[in-house]
Amino acid sequence: MSQYIVRIEGLHKSFGKLEVLKGVDLKVTKGEVVVVLGPSGSGKSTMLRCINKLEQPTDGRIFLEDIEITDPKTNINQVREQIGMVFQSFNLFPHLTAKANVMLAQRKVLKRDKAEASRIAEEQLRRVGLGDKMDNFPAQLSGGQQQRVAIARALAMNPHVMLFDEVTSALDPELVRGVLDVMKELAAAGMTMLVVTHEMGFARDVASRVVFMDEGVIVEEGTPEEVFDHPKSERTKDFLGHIT
Amino acid sequence: MDRSPRAVQRLLLVLALAAAMLFAVVAPALALVNPQVTLDQEQGGSPTRFTFVAITDKDASITGMDFTFPPGFDLSSVSFDTVTLEGLVRRPVNVTGAAAGETLSLKFAPSVEPSSTLRVQIHDVLTTNEGGTFPLKIAYSTESTATGTRVLSHRTDDTVKFSYTSLSFAEGISHNLDKNSFVAGWNNVKALGMFFKPQLVVTSIPTVITGWYLALVWIAFAFPIAIVGGLSFAFMKMSKIPPLRWIAAAYINVIRGTPLFLQIFVAFIGLRIAGFRVDDNVTAVAVLAMNSSAYLAEIFRAGIQSINKGQFEAASSLGMNYAQSMQYVIIPQTVKRVLPTMTSEFILLFKDTALFAAVGRPELMYQAQNIVANTGNMTPFVVIAAFYLIVTIPLINVVGRLEARLAVSEHGQSPTEKTKRRGGRLMNELAQSVDPYRATAPDSIHDDNERG
Ligand SMILES: Nc1ncnc2c1ncn2[C@@H]1O[C@H](COP(=O)(O)OP(=O)(O)OP(=O)(O)O)[C@@H](O)[C@H]1O
Ligand SMILES: [Mg+2]
Repeated sequence: MSQYIVRIEGLHKSFGKLEVLKGVDLKVTKGEVVVVLGPSGSGKSTMLRCINKLEQPTDGRIFLEDIEITDPKTNINQVREQIGMVFQSFNLFPHLTAKANVMLAQRKVLKRDKAEASRIAEEQLRRVGLGDKMDNFPAQLSGGQQQRVAIARALAMNPHVMLFDEVTSALDPELVRGVLDVMKELAAAGMTMLVVTHEMGFARDVASRVVFMDEGVIVEEGTPEEVFDHPKSERTKDFLGHIT
Repeated sequence: MDRSPRAVQRLLLVLALAAAMLFAVVAPALALVNPQVTLDQEQGGSPTRFTFVAITDKDASITGMDFTFPPGFDLSSVSFDTVTLEGLVRRPVNVTGAAAGETLSLKFAPSVEPSSTLRVQIHDVLTTNEGGTFPLKIAYSTESTATGTRVLSHRTDDTVKFSYTSLSFAEGISHNLDKNSFVAGWNNVKALGMFFKPQLVVTSIPTVITGWYLALVWIAFAFPIAIVGGLSFAFMKMSKIPPLRWIAAAYINVIRGTPLFLQIFVAFIGLRIAGFRVDDNVTAVAVLAMNSSAYLAEIFRAGIQSINKGQFEAASSLGMNYAQSMQYVIIPQTVKRVLPTMTSEFILLFKDTALFAAVGRPELMYQAQNIVANTGNMTPFVVIAAFYLIVTIPLINVVGRLEARLAVSEHGQSPTEKTKRRGGRLMNELAQSVDPYRATAPDSIHDDNERG
């Protein structure tokens, strides 16, 4: 068994003539929290979306543990159920209650029976602090609450890794904390996570490794201290200078 | 021997009875031979001409006849004439008479010759509404010519039978309206009498309603088929396989790009000329279903594509395959969005059934045209307009309410009692708090459903 949960080798991705990813290599070990930083348009989202094949890589290989995701023979749906993904825009199913959102894929994909799916949904919703909002529809929840439901929905599938793509960017500032707290707890509980974010505080506190991306390549990576306090690359310095 | 007087008595009685019977059978009983009566109207409740024909006996000339109609017949405005027929020659008979109650008494002067064919016409007998087979009792006075002396006999036991059918309920009402002076005044106003004639409203409903049923039955079959077809074409048009996309696009464009009227003619006349013989109602359902499926396909496709791409991605990222994502995530949201447009499409389809009048299918329009052609009055058109509206107005209402509800839920509201009662302000607040859906929700998918 591979020591890496996620392994990306020479990943290229083009949209037509536009080459967005120009050879990305990244390895994530079990329990690691990798925070991906980078300016807008540098290809952070595209990289995450390649991992569960929401985007089809142009070239390169991606593995989830021992399974090669990029192998055309791989059943992508079986891989996806092991990769939790949380989006910037929540993407809750608006016609279902919070609890039904968390139950749907458990029932249809994992074929859990109703009682078990229900029990796990309640457990996960309580875990993200929404024990009292189970029967609310997404429209009746604040953005922060919706995002926490989305996290619970992904967690209920028992994923081996969680991908977070700027999950707090669409939130009002006062709602960001609640979501970040949930992610911190998750990290503390040993979840392997790949997090694209602009929250530098979160990166410093929680990341086991920080990756800086620019123009489709990984420019620099290291511990939060290394990247934030002693950046080697000019581009990294430039970027951090703008942010803080 | 005290028994004999009684035996003689009995014998006499039997003989007397036998003689009486003999007399009854032989003598003037056959004064009229082969009597028959016919009437003009097959239906009751209207003034009718009765024509009575019989051959007079060779020994008797007729001096008068009484016709007694069944109870309830109205003879107050009858007139009559009498002729004898010899081959093709008619000879008028001088007749006088009067009606009293249900009996019309006629006197012939001079009397009608023996062995002549007698025809009596009684005009404007008002029959009862209720149909059936009725007796017409005939009594007559004769003059025996055999003896040369005038022997008057009066017989009342001859009857002839006639029958007619019941007046329909609607025509019964119509007949009553005929007598109403307000209705007469109303009809005298030209615009009212021409477009809103009460009698025609009443009498056209039973006919027109059969056309209404027919149109509804067509739609009841055609629309569900169109939904299935529409979904199929929508998915074909979104398919990754190019030929499927081409077929769907061609079908949708041809159907939406040509008039339904033309499609009906092709189906009814073109196919017939080509030698295909299909049941007319099956053809009508097929044409309606095919036409509507093209419009529904575009409605469904637009509806599905209007769902935020993130919904599909979220479902995929949870490991749901294409079919599962469609079934549990995309379609339920689409249904809510397309329901108003679908209902509008249903309304259009129902109204389009009128076009089948052009190929002689007896739906609403056809029925109305027929009555208008027969009566020269526009009222049946007004009546069928009402029949269309009975269906369409409530549905237009439904569309309006569905659209309102959709507008609310698209802006971040779900229909729970608590929020419903608190009303508008809360909805606005909620709408503002849920940015992502608002930002990506499409404006409208209704533009696609305009028909020329
Ligand atoms: N589906 C697409 N089709 C064409 N171009 C795309 C597509 N998705 C992304 N791109 C382009 O790829 C580039 C990288 O996009 P990506 O979303 O990965 O950047 P990002 O690093 O996540 O930026 P941000 O911080 O703004 O989210 C951008 O120039 C974007 O316009
Ligand atoms: Mg991004």
